[in-house]
Amino acid sequence: MTQSLANHFQGPIPNVFDEVHAFWIAGGSCDGCSIATVGATSPSVENLLNGTIPGAAKVILHHPVLAVNAGEAFIEPFRLAAKGELGAPFVVLCEGSIMDESLAAETGGYWSGLGADEDENGDPQPIPSSSWVTRMSVHAAAVIAVGTCATWGGVPAAANNPTNAASVMDLLGEDYRSILGLPVVNIPGCAPQGDNITETIAAVLLFLNGLAPLPEFDELGRPQWLFDETVHRGCTRAGFYEEGTFAEEHGDKECLVEIGCWGPVVQCNINKRGAINNAGGCMNVGAPCIGCTMPGFPDSFAPFYKTPPGTMVSSNISRVTGTVIRNLREMSMGNLNRTTKWDKDGHVPSGWGHVKEPNLVKKVVKYAYQKMQFSDSPKPGSK
Amino acid sequence: MCFKNLPIAFDDEGNAYLKEGLKDPYEHKVVDLGEEQEVLKGLLERNGFIRNIDYDPVTRVAGALAFHSVVDLEKKKVLSTNSMATLFRGYEVILKGRDPRDAAYISSRACGVCGGVHATTAALAIEMALDIKPPPLGIVMRNILLAIEYLYDHPLHLFLLAGPDYSEELVRETNPELIDKAAETKAKNKDVHGYDTVLDIMKDLNPLKGKLYLEALSMTRVAREAYVLIGGKYPHPQSVVPGGLSVTVTASVLNEVYSRLIKFFDYSQKVTGIWDDVFDFFLESNPEYAKCGIRPATMMDTGVWDRPDHYDASFANCDKWGEARWSTPGVLVDGEVVTTKLTELNAGIEEFVEHSYYEKWDGHRFKEDANGMPLSPNHPWNKETIPKPGKQSWKDRYSWDTAPTWDRMPMEAGAYTRMYMTAKAQKAPASKFLENTGTSMKIKVPKHFLPEKTLEWKIPEHWNAFERNRARAYCIPYSAMVAMENWLLAMDLIKNGETKVSVPYEIPKKGTHIGFGAWGAGRGFLTHHLIVENGVIENYQIITPSTLNAAPRTPWGEMGPYEEAVLNTPILEKFDKPEDYKGIDILRAIRSFDPCMPCTTHIMAKDSDHMVTREVTTCACGVE
Repeated sequence: MTQSLANHFQGPIPNVFDEVHAFWIAGGSCDGCSIATVGATSPSVENLLNGTIPGAAKVILHHPVLAVNAGEAFIEPFRLAAKGELGAPFVVLCEGSIMDESLAAETGGYWSGLGADEDENGDPQPIPSSSWVTRMSVHAAAVIAVGTCATWGGVPAAANNPTNAASVMDLLGEDYRSILGLPVVNIPGCAPQGDNITETIAAVLLFLNGLAPLPEFDELGRPQWLFDETVHRGCTRAGFYEEGTFAEEHGDKECLVEIGCWGPVVQCNINKRGAINNAGGCMNVGAPCIGCTMPGFPDSFAPFYKTPPGTMVSSNISRVTGTVIRNLREMSMGNLNRTTKWDKDGHVPSGWGHVKEPNLVKKVVKYAYQKMQFSDSPKPGSK
Repeated sequence: MCFKNLPIAFDDEGNAYLKEGLKDPYEHKVVDLGEEQEVLKGLLERNGFIRNIDYDPVTRVAGALAFHSVVDLEKKKVLSTNSMATLFRGYEVILKGRDPRDAAYISSRACGVCGGVHATTAALAIEMALDIKPPPLGIVMRNILLAIEYLYDHPLHLFLLAGPDYSEELVRETNPELIDKAAETKAKNKDVHGYDTVLDIMKDLNPLKGKLYLEALSMTRVAREAYVLIGGKYPHPQSVVPGGLSVTVTASVLNEVYSRLIKFFDYSQKVTGIWDDVFDFFLESNPEYAKCGIRPATMMDTGVWDRPDHYDASFANCDKWGEARWSTPGVLVDGEVVTTKLTELNAGIEEFVEHSYYEKWDGHRFKEDANGMPLSPNHPWNKETIPKPGKQSWKDRYSWDTAPTWDRMPMEAGAYTRMYMTAKAQKAPASKFLENTGTSMKIKVPKHFLPEKTLEWKIPEHWNAFERNRARAYCIPYSAMVAMENWLLAMDLIKNGETKVSVPYEIPKKGTHIGFGAWGAGRGFLTHHLIVENGVIENYQIITPSTLNAAPRTPWGEMGPYEEAVLNTPILEKFDKPEDYKGIDILRAIRSFDPCMPCTTHIMAKDSDHMVTREVTTCACGVE
């Protein structure tokens, strides 16, 4: 694909597709993924929609929240795309769970509607949102499920739910392939970090124009480069875990696992990336992870903010090893908080407090430490 | 004596009791909508200029909303309206049988636009039910968080959702006569926004390209950056817990929040100046615009932003801590304050499902509240959510939304209600920045690049689409100054070493515990009603602002606020042929409420058997 398109490139930045339509179908959703998308900055929606990312096609977005048109004028392109008559390439972005409409139909109704068709009396009846997904997916260049509801089922699919909600993958099945040969792409999160959405869309657009390789996806269709690591590995509090110190109540500054954080076993990048424009991130601010990017969310993480059983083993082990490590580090840090001059003077000239001079034991340890540090390399100032 | 329709009376000491001698105290009239539909059907068949105007979906609103109207395009009059929420997910059903701790995070997912508000309201409901009192810094930080939420929410609505309806691009299509006029009209607030003429402003309101549209997008992100420093993420903050917040409040958090908050000082002046200029232009160009979306100022609000020295979460003291809020809870009937007490606000609420896809429930478990005030079988503590999807029929059932009422009256909700109530009631605390005069709210905005300025929002004579949006614009400085006031309080608390942001609590394994949370969403009124039975959620009911605003008819045939507002809207759009008609006036009326549908339909309402004495007009099909 990339090779054949490459022949069409002209000019410094190739543009095989100038425009790609994107249909946003919000089924059983809270609109949170739309809101997350609007908050993205890297790239932003206005970059995508105004075609200001060189090399990426301009996105003609059909989204109920941002559309200028309403009603049938808005729905008409959906109808064309569903029949394969749009005459332009398009992707389908699904937000929200897929409700079991057969269940609602038993009593003559629907759970989630978008647009309306006339019934036998000429009265409008809502069209189930999921039927758009089914029909449009056949002609789509890609189907991208956005958010935990669309990717895995999410909260509407939690235990006791009356709608039999499930995911887009559940609806379309494992044999589904878009016309580019892709299974459903899944960008989980409740709501996803906004840049995870826009970046993935941009990556696909750059791929379509031959600039970028096909983005890699894991065995559940997640953008592999975004969801490869656990959220704990990127957590600003992970160092506390390493040193065996833990928050005991909300507001404490240490690692949150003992007050209900599932971060060590959750694939997510929010601590690394921040929530908006590199600010925030759940555990960074002090909020335990409840696994909202994972297929098991919410039931497998409930009750929220109860200590996960797994931490009983792992955090206690880290308490033992961490205590040793922490003490050693504190000793090193004491040395590192001194200048060469202060060492020579035997005094720290701070007006903020009295800094004790190291005792003999600390001096010996430092001497031994530096021996090792400079064993096969010159100590600064050695000549 | 705030209740006129519910059978609740008060003795000399102010204690409420159920009026005696009524066979069925909660009886109400039931009106058959079929007759109206027959009349309309006849009209539609006979007259080519009378048309069904359907919007499915109504766009530039959050969530799934459809709207049906019958419009006389010759007389330029709306004859009939129906508002439809077209999504059900069953959050209230999902919440049953769970650990109460899950309520904040599950119910947050009811709405992705204002999830933080749901989380907070759930936390408040749990705090009341389980007697949990957050520490002062927890309360103050919650206020800051939820004031900032509005700073993202209001610009989003004003410029991305409603704004395009007033942009040069759309107005040129629907009312080209206004374009030349706008070009000649000098903008009065040039000193704060820099635009010469109203047309210059309207050009920058154009979707996706206009500078004001793009600036609003970027300001929503500034607000969200400040938000996620406390909330962790947005939407669906991760730090709201019963008993406070799960946030480590460091000096850095407050410093970083402040550096973003101050950007809203100049922006407050700019946004209010922009919308004053645009709306004054429309209203002066054609006084008929004053009827767009008009309905009586009959509204209610929960109030928001608790005082750290008053809030104790208890039902016993909720009237006191409610009235101490920076925004006053209560009910307005036709612009007059009828109550500011949370207990009365609570007791007056009922939900009806006659025209919704739900089944009635049985039972009347809670006949009165803890103070002995009577509660209807239709009250949220007594209600149960039993979905029953059905065919859409204007005669029968047509929405997943229910019809909530207060004292048997459909109620409107909005950010603006928060300001209207507070300005009118004059009960909010003394403030460095806010002054309530009874007819207006004065908001002192500190200097940033622009000099300090006192903005004044005046209670308008007519309650219409333009005034809703204008008031929403003034809610930006209102919210910013409440955030500022609480930021100063947070600093004081930290100076005094009061750094706790939460209290630990236990879930009682035995007994019945009930509570309600009352907090304002971006669109106003929001309540969660909770029953915990032996440590497990027994019932959970959510009433959102759009549950109120998007409501279908009551059993006695009274229209919901969107329905009524659109019915009263004159058709001022210019078009040659009926086919060209776009419906901008109708859409302006609906969008002025800032519809937000995702969380509208998780409640379920109840059936009927009650009484209502007021006569209501449901339809203007008397014409012809």
